[in-house]
Amino acid sequence: MTTTAVKTAAPVAGFDRVSKTYGDVRAVDGLTLALHPGETVALLGPNGAGKSTTLDLLLGLKRPDSGTVSVLGTEPREAIVAGRVGAMLQSGGLMEEVTVAELVRLACSLHPRPYPVSDVLARAGVTQIAGRKVDKLSGGQAQRVRFALATAGDSDLIVLDEPTTGMDVTARQAFWATMREQADRGRTVLFATHYLEEADAIADRVLVLHRGRLLADGTAAEIKAKAGARRISFDLDGPVDTDALRTLPSLTRCDVSGQTVRMQSADADATVHALYGLGLYPRNLEVAGLGLEQAFVAITAAEEARPS
Amino acid sequence: MNALIRLELARALRNRKSLFFSVAYPSILFLLIAGTADSTTKVDGTGLTLPTYMMVSMASFGALTAVLMGNSERIAKERENGWVRQLRLTPLPGRGYVLAKTASAAVVSLPAIVMVFLVAAVGKDVRLDAWQWLALTGAIWAGSLVFAALGVALGYLATGDAVRPITMITYFGLSILGGLWMPTTTFPGWLQDIAEWVPTRAYAALGQAIEQSQAPHAGDIALLAVFFVLFGGGAAWLYRKDTLKA
Repeated sequence: MTTTAVKTAAPVAGFDRVSKTYGDVRAVDGLTLALHPGETVALLGPNGAGKSTTLDLLLGLKRPDSGTVSVLGTEPREAIVAGRVGAMLQSGGLMEEVTVAELVRLACSLHPRPYPVSDVLARAGVTQIAGRKVDKLSGGQAQRVRFALATAGDSDLIVLDEPTTGMDVTARQAFWATMREQADRGRTVLFATHYLEEADAIADRVLVLHRGRLLADGTAAEIKAKAGARRISFDLDGPVDTDALRTLPSLTRCDVSGQTVRMQSADADATVHALYGLGLYPRNLEVAGLGLEQAFVAITAAEEARPS
Repeated sequence: MNALIRLELARALRNRKSLFFSVAYPSILFLLIAGTADSTTKVDGTGLTLPTYMMVSMASFGALTAVLMGNSERIAKERENGWVRQLRLTPLPGRGYVLAKTASAAVVSLPAIVMVFLVAAVGKDVRLDAWQWLALTGAIWAGSLVFAALGVALGYLATGDAVRPITMITYFGLSILGGLWMPTTTFPGWLQDIAEWVPTRAYAALGQAIEQSQAPHAGDIALLAVFFVLFGGGAAWLYRKDTLKA
């Protein structure tokens, strides 16, 4: 199946001009987006951007003030009751005083198309702690149990809210390997994360949310391009004429500390060309693409600067 | 949903502390209260001996403990720690959680009732006809649903910190005012007038009527029915409110 074919299929989930307000705060503001089958989508945004509210709306835990949310062609709650959505939330707790295995067995029996309990335990990496009481788990272990509950059966959409919080690096890598396996089976995965390298490495598509609005929607590469593309750094001998540097074309940012100059440019070729034109001799010149992290900061900072 | 009932039940049976309070504690209290009474002391206006009278009071008290105490606190706590929210992300129908809690409490309340009967029959020679034992068990068990609904309502009303004191006050208030610890006939007149309207008084009266070989009084059944509608309606309303904001 080609990408175009996938995109024309009926969306797995859709937001149509959805708004949700708490008092004076517009948590979600006219959000319109569609998730397509088989996509792995990262939801990024600073704290308070509306990520949690967006997920709550998607899962039918909250109702929009206006607009409509649909999941698999129906209401969110209906899709969940049909077992077509598996989800783990930050705010989701676990039943206490029972063992991990008992809890996972429960999740499997509640699902209309369950996987075998032992498979679910193994995939979530909790087989070793299956006999342990839920209230005795570390943060990372509890997180993996939540993941097991979210993947207890065959669902079309998997929603994960900051799934790797509290996991160490090894656990995090194992987690994403499992997740990728789910995506390869054609599941649509939507995850919110604070770790931008995760979004960069795992998502086919990145949504940047800010003040309840969608700031950017594209591949990680597209988001980076949107943010003003390239990072240039070099050292200069002698006094640095900051004012002259600021006249360089296509600059989006320029920081000087001592002899070291760091800049961001929408057109690195033109900037570097003009740099030599100033008669300067930059040493240790580096031109590199922005990481998603910097792109994210650049995009949200630009939005922040706009009068709202 | 059966899976959730089974797991709730397994957990309840594993918790020794709460099992002690709902299953063994009422029997111990029965022995303490009825222990010194000989089997000829009659409770005023009932024609029943003190052990016979108190047996029903304590069986009702045990059932009340089982259905009220655990659930209210658990529901409040599980609302707070997010388990209720997590369950709403599973295909479990919305009411399943409350029904499973009520069902597992009902299973624990049965041994609480039977245990008091056994202790009374063996320890204090309480003798009744077979139909009376069965009717008593059935009436006390069924009547406990009224208070199970109250437990659910309290669990949705209070938050984690407040739920314990609120439940305790309700529990002791109902137990004492309803005459479960001492016959209401020992109360001063004004307090008897109040006790007349307390649901636990009507609840114990069901069993005492059976012991007197009578049908339970229509007034008591009506009072319990009104409270059941009140508590059940309150629980349903609070549950719906919680679901909308969760």
